[in-house]
Amino acid sequence: MHVFLTITGRDLKLAFRRWSEFANPLLFFVVVTSLFPLALSPEQALLQSVGAGVLWVAALLSSLLALEGLFRGDVEDGSMEQILLSPAPFGIVVIAKIAAHWLVSGIPLIVLVPVVAMSFQLPTAALATLAAALLLAMPTLSVLSAIGAALTVSLRSGGSIIGLLVLPLCAPMLIFGTRATDMAANGEAVAAPLYLLAALAVFAVSLGPLAVAAALRVGLE
Amino acid sequence: MKLPRWFHRFGSAPYVYGLAGLLSPWVGGIAVLLIAAGTYGGLVLAPADYLQGDSFRIIYIHVPSAYVSMMAYVILAVAAAIGFIWRLKLAHAVAVSIAPIGASFTFLALATGAIWGKPTWGTFWQWTDPRIMFELLLLFLYLGYMALRAAFEDRDKADRVSAILGVVGVVNVPIIHYSVIWWNSLHQGPTIARLDGPTITLDMLAPLLIMIAGFTFCFAWLLLSRLQGEIVRREYATRWLRELLAGSPG
Amino acid sequence: MTPRRRRMVLVGLVLAGIVVSAALALRAFQLNLQYFFSPTQVAEGEVADARNFRLGGMVLEESVVREEGSLTVSFVVTDYLHSVPVEYTGVLPDLFQEGKGVVTLGRMEPSGRFVAEQVLAKHDENYMPPEVAEALEQAREREQL
Repeated sequence: MHVFLTITGRDLKLAFRRWSEFANPLLFFVVVTSLFPLALSPEQALLQSVGAGVLWVAALLSSLLALEGLFRGDVEDGSMEQILLSPAPFGIVVIAKIAAHWLVSGIPLIVLVPVVAMSFQLPTAALATLAAALLLAMPTLSVLSAIGAALTVSLRSGGSIIGLLVLPLCAPMLIFGTRATDMAANGEAVAAPLYLLAALAVFAVSLGPLAVAAALRVGLE
Repeated sequence: MKLPRWFHRFGSAPYVYGLAGLLSPWVGGIAVLLIAAGTYGGLVLAPADYLQGDSFRIIYIHVPSAYVSMMAYVILAVAAAIGFIWRLKLAHAVAVSIAPIGASFTFLALATGAIWGKPTWGTFWQWTDPRIMFELLLLFLYLGYMALRAAFEDRDKADRVSAILGVVGVVNVPIIHYSVIWWNSLHQGPTIARLDGPTITLDMLAPLLIMIAGFTFCFAWLLLSRLQGEIVRREYATRWLRELLAGSPG
Repeated sequence: MTPRRRRMVLVGLVLAGIVVSAALALRAFQLNLQYFFSPTQVAEGEVADARNFRLGGMVLEESVVREEGSLTVSFVVTDYLHSVPVEYTGVLPDLFQEGKGVVTLGRMEPSGRFVAEQVLAKHDENYMPPEVAEALEQAREREQL
């Protein structure tokens, strides 16, 4: 627990010192989502019907931006190697780093998305579901991003390939997330897709860090 | 955990190279025979379906290729795991050799499914059908695996990193298999592997089983020849390979 | 904690995670997670009005009526508890038949009629030659007598 808090605290501190790194993806999200009404048409019915999908895809894409830096900095300045050599259990370190990433990139997005959703004229009934679905999906996204970042950590430019690895794996999450939002917008029961999102999150959080730890070990060899 | 001793013979590149060369004509021959027999049985002997008429016959390509696409991924993941845990280079070579073959069979399954879907369902492609989506995800996994490998210059590192991706992706295989049971979707349920026995008459089933066996042998054949190529690529500087190649005519 | 015990705890946590996620997924599948809605679900008001959705079920026997001189077809989709009348203009898939499965995409009209934009045939997992199908059909009829 002590290790966990130390690492999370350290990563949070680093993130706030270099705030542009976590602000950029959020800004990207806002810009991308505002392009859609400009490109399509500001017709209310159209915006309502594509809104949920656009928000989810934009959220996914924007999270890709922050993803490369997840382990890169630590690996480049050697601190990851120090952590690996220290007696601290590496699995917990990995989980702590993922948690920090989730706090920095996931939480602001969850706050931001309902606001943007209103500009897409999504019914207010759907906003709570949208936020809940994002809340459940973000841990999965963080874990999947971490897997992608860890796999490509020893590559000089992993940027293009990370998307190729991570985005297809995000597809199930995207399907259930948009489905829940869409059903809520139509006033239907949304429990089923939310349960599935929760199942995905628990599954990813329990097995994902193992893959991340293994990939980081190989990357540092 | 230790590997059994007999397994270590498979860690020796000359042995596996020789074995693959020895097996490959036999496996290839059996594949050709089975596929020829299955094609004849499927196109000529099997009766037309009471509902779908002759268009159901695409089942004889669609089902075997879908089956092989999933089996290939499981073998890839197992080989990658063995290679990762016991640092067996040849296991990695097996995983590498499988990826393009598996991707091709996955593509074949998707393409034949689309061709079948048009006359039966009335649509080539249904974005919301879980079976189709997860099979597409399988294709992306194969392609992602290959892309990730290609990004590394160091082969050893590429082996170990891509192995992790291979193992992570295996989660998808049971999801593909059970998707038609979990979701009541457009894709029909299982026909052969069901508790109350197959729901297909024997004269239609027999060619299908022969085709599945034929595709499996075909996969093994392709794997063996690709594996030989992969071994040559990895061991081109070694003495045994030079001697072998110098000794062979041509 | 010794490394051994630590590893045991880790394995336990991972297994617990898998069990929990399986339980959550099961719960989701018990709830409605369907690709299409059945006529009963429509009758019970599970689908919101005025939205596109998929209606799935069987085409009721002897309900298909083709309009003369146009591609408009009307039929009844049923799950043998409730049924919904459907209207569709366009080419039907070859496998569209009375008594067989169908999935239609469209929306409900206030009159209670479902106007479909797309009709897909959902064929089942049974494959047999026509003679066998006929024999089965005859056997069923004999049973009913």
